[in-house]
Amino acid sequence: MLSSQILLHGFGQRFDLQVPLYLYLFAACGVVFLSFVLVVLFAGDTSGSAGISYPRRPVPWLTRVARTPWPRVIGGAVGVSGLLIVVVAGFFGSSVAFDNPAEYVVWIYFWAVTVILSGLVGNLWYLLNPWAAIHDVVARFVPRRAPLKLPRVGVWPAVVTYFAFACLELTSGMASRPQIVAVAVVAYTVITLAGMFLFGRDEWLEHCEAFTVLFGIVGRFGPVEAERDDRGAIREVYLRPWGVGLLQPAPSGWDRVVFVILMLSTLAFDGITATPAWQDFIVVLEPWWEPFGPLGFFVGRTFGLILLTVTFLLVFVAFMEGVMYLGQARVDAKVTVTAFALTLVPIALVYNAAHNYTYMVVYAQYAVPLLNDPLQKGWHLWPAVASFKPSFALAQASTVWYAQIVLIVLGHIVAVLLSHLRAGSVFKSAQRALLSQYPMLLLMVMYTFTSLWILAQPITRES
Amino acid sequence: MSRSRALIVVALVVVFVVVGGVLIYANTRGGGPKNVTFDLTVTRGESMTPSNLKARHNDTITINVKSDQEGEVHLHEYDIAFETRPGETVSHTFKADKTCTCEIEWEATSHELGTLEVSP
Repeated sequence: MLSSQILLHGFGQRFDLQVPLYLYLFAACGVVFLSFVLVVLFAGDTSGSAGISYPRRPVPWLTRVARTPWPRVIGGAVGVSGLLIVVVAGFFGSSVAFDNPAEYVVWIYFWAVTVILSGLVGNLWYLLNPWAAIHDVVARFVPRRAPLKLPRVGVWPAVVTYFAFACLELTSGMASRPQIVAVAVVAYTVITLAGMFLFGRDEWLEHCEAFTVLFGIVGRFGPVEAERDDRGAIREVYLRPWGVGLLQPAPSGWDRVVFVILMLSTLAFDGITATPAWQDFIVVLEPWWEPFGPLGFFVGRTFGLILLTVTFLLVFVAFMEGVMYLGQARVDAKVTVTAFALTLVPIALVYNAAHNYTYMVVYAQYAVPLLNDPLQKGWHLWPAVASFKPSFALAQASTVWYAQIVLIVLGHIVAVLLSHLRAGSVFKSAQRALLSQYPMLLLMVMYTFTSLWILAQPITRES
Repeated sequence: MSRSRALIVVALVVVFVVVGGVLIYANTRGGGPKNVTFDLTVTRGESMTPSNLKARHNDTITINVKSDQEGEVHLHEYDIAFETRPGETVSHTFKADKTCTCEIEWEATSHELGTLEVSP
């Protein structure tokens, strides 16, 4: 058996209790019942094509703030500070993940908190991106044109980068080693800065920088919408209902579909690897991977992640074939599939929030006592916080379960609604649009059931 | 979707949220706090019997640890250390004020000996 020294999640061990069976069944029945009610209500819609225009309200004070350089300056400063903490603490701090601020910044404050806040508020990465901030400061003093032109690669480079990040987090077994995380961050910093200077800032960010693409998608779910003119300056800032931004026109292509599916599959993989079913699978495969030690472990898990992603993708494409067949309209398959892929984002986001709930409300607090001695050198920078004990007030199992099932059911409803509105805009007749929705609804129920099933599994550990 | 139909959806969601809350509330109230005691035997810092301990929220838990080796048995989340010596029994009594699947580790090797499950 593999040494327990290789920690599996990016960070520490989870301690949450699984959702009990009665609650799992209640939530599952709720999902099916509410989906059914939604379909019955949709049947009364005569024309859905106006559906994707949504209400939004201009917010003058937010527009005024957004037009000043301050949000970018403050966000950039926070982002660059975070980057510096990761590099310095990663290289010079403790090699134990639990005692190293770099691990907290990367896996909790960036990866869990920023993603979820961006879904709640809007694209925060646009303000925080440290590489964009460094580029902008340098470009201010040394203005120059990008010497090279990026070929037409879509967002495939971002897909590859995101997959590599997912491997670092989930399959490498190295996510809990601060030095390795710091090396990865430095390497990515060099690549991103070089890319921006060689191919142009926005060209690189929008096609090759995985987090810009990711937060671009997540931010569409958020309620803050910034309208820009041709030169990229803010024209007006609006507030809109959560989720509807995903209906806005978006670039289409298989690269974007794969990116969204990868968002779903990596999240699911993180949960699935903690279930007894995965343990059994790993035990069956043991004779193959075990002789190769950590490398076998890495290859085996990466294979599992790829398998899950391909399965998710094939299932999605098969269901989309059903949608287009029942919709009976001549549509551009690529555009339609991309548009519907985005309607799955709410399911991914709520699962992310449910899955990372205890990380955010408890583990995030363990960083506070580290402020006294961030590098574990025996310093006493802030003795008052050294004995800080995290509060578990928000992590009582009943609170966690409640938040989880409510989030998952709400996310499901938003996804079903968006998909219905989307169908109305793609397929001309209301009847066809409704018919086309059955496969999509079934797919969403399946995804939501998977989320619930994972949360209802006892948490097990590979040891 | 018209306003009245949207209202139906909102009303149903509210019903779901309320019923979910009532279900959890009704199912997580045990028969009041109890006193529970566990006698644990740790062998060579590698195994522990019994290894899966269960208690309810707000119980008063007493854990007695007996080990054949000197070292620390650590109960995570509650952050309680049992400094063991061969032949001696170390005890701690505490209130189960956090729900968790808390790990019990042989601290020197970070080897997991078992878990304490505190359910609501």
